[in-house]
Amino acid sequence: MANATIHPDQIYIDGLANNDSAIIQSIYKKFVPKVVHYIRNNSGDDDKAQDVVQEIMILLFNQAKTKKLQLTCPFDAYFFLLCKRKWLNEIKKSSNKGVTIDEDLPSNNEPTEEMVTETEVFDEKQQLFDLMFQKLGDKCQELLKLSFTIKSMEEVAEKLNVTYGYVRKKKSLCVGQLTQWIQETNRFKSLKII
Amino acid sequence: MNEERYILFGQYLDNELSAEEKTNFDKQLAEDPEFASAFEIFKELNQHLENKFGNANELKAFKKNLKSISKEHFKTKKPKVVAFKPWQYAIAASVAILVGLFVFQNINPSFEDYNNPEMATFIERGDVNENLKLAQDAFNAKNYKAAIPYFEAILKVNKSPEIQYFFAVSLLEDNQFQKAETNLSELKSGTSIYKNKATWYLALSKLKQEEYKSCKEILLTIPDDFEDYDQVQELLNELD
Repeated sequence: MANATIHPDQIYIDGLANNDSAIIQSIYKKFVPKVVHYIRNNSGDDDKAQDVVQEIMILLFNQAKTKKLQLTCPFDAYFFLLCKRKWLNEIKKSSNKGVTIDEDLPSNNEPTEEMVTETEVFDEKQQLFDLMFQKLGDKCQELLKLSFTIKSMEEVAEKLNVTYGYVRKKKSLCVGQLTQWIQETNRFKSLKII
Repeated sequence: MNEERYILFGQYLDNELSAEEKTNFDKQLAEDPEFASAFEIFKELNQHLENKFGNANELKAFKKNLKSISKEHFKTKKPKVVAFKPWQYAIAASVAILVGLFVFQNINPSFEDYNNPEMATFIERGDVNENLKLAQDAFNAKNYKAAIPYFEAILKVNKSPEIQYFFAVSLLEDNQFQKAETNLSELKSGTSIYKNKATWYLALSKLKQEEYKSCKEILLTIPDDFEDYDQVQELLNELD
């Protein structure tokens, strides 16, 4: 994957990561109408489309910031497929059962599918990580929040009124606790993290 | 919980292990899948938390920007999809080609199209400030080069947003971009009634220098209650 050529549409990913208004606007102009059209024709409306699009853009922002998201397929197909699948999932969730949706991926387009899957796995992981974080004790939560916000461990130690060594150790142990829970979670296994 | 293991993970990520410890670590990563899997999760968690907390402000700014662009898009774009019959496509296509032939010189928008400086009216009856009078006359006669030194003299004595604005416009007309932009930026970050006007002229300055991308970026920061907002939108459309 790392060696795959980066698609010129990477500019859209970088634009999102840099909060570049001109790029974001051009995404709306060029790619969003197709999504809106699709959602409207599949029991949705403008408001729903607006929400789905925003959620996907925030997801891409986070993925680009966290993992250096590198696009190996056209943005158009990638973005549309992400929005489409998100919308179909939402319909499925809200309807009790039995809604038949044509959910086939265009099987002739492997790089796009791969990218979409990667982003969806990233999304699920993020949600799982956040869920587990909520399970941590207040002390761990506070320490992690501070040490990832402030960066300087000396400052964190001072703020919490503990020693530098303690913060260092505790930080690893708190992340370790999360690691252990995640390993134990069956749900995680289906995510194929490695 | 395997405390030592996690402490070791932390040290490895922070590059705190000795060369020998590092070699051992790498060896274990290669040989022990369970160890490697735990480390991979530990690492991803670190990345996740770094983004979640370290970039919290950036995310907030992004969401805010996204929301306003989205709102704007869905407000203005109520796309009317008209279903064409096949023969209508053919007509539309030939019309498009004809139009294309005639308006082929459809190029980028130019500064001149938008350059309409307002009249300067500094002087009230009975006012005797010589420089003000001279600056006003030169400016209104579009003799910007001559107006500049008068404005400079006035600003030295009494710096007001109004004079600074007309001064900056004169500089821009005279192609002194850097100086013009310094003054416009100052007004832009201020709170005077010239704030939006200055931002507009800052965008025009970029336009005149054919820096379309920054022109657009600046235009997007102008709030829609700006008196000449229709001009802003027109230019934005042309830039697309």
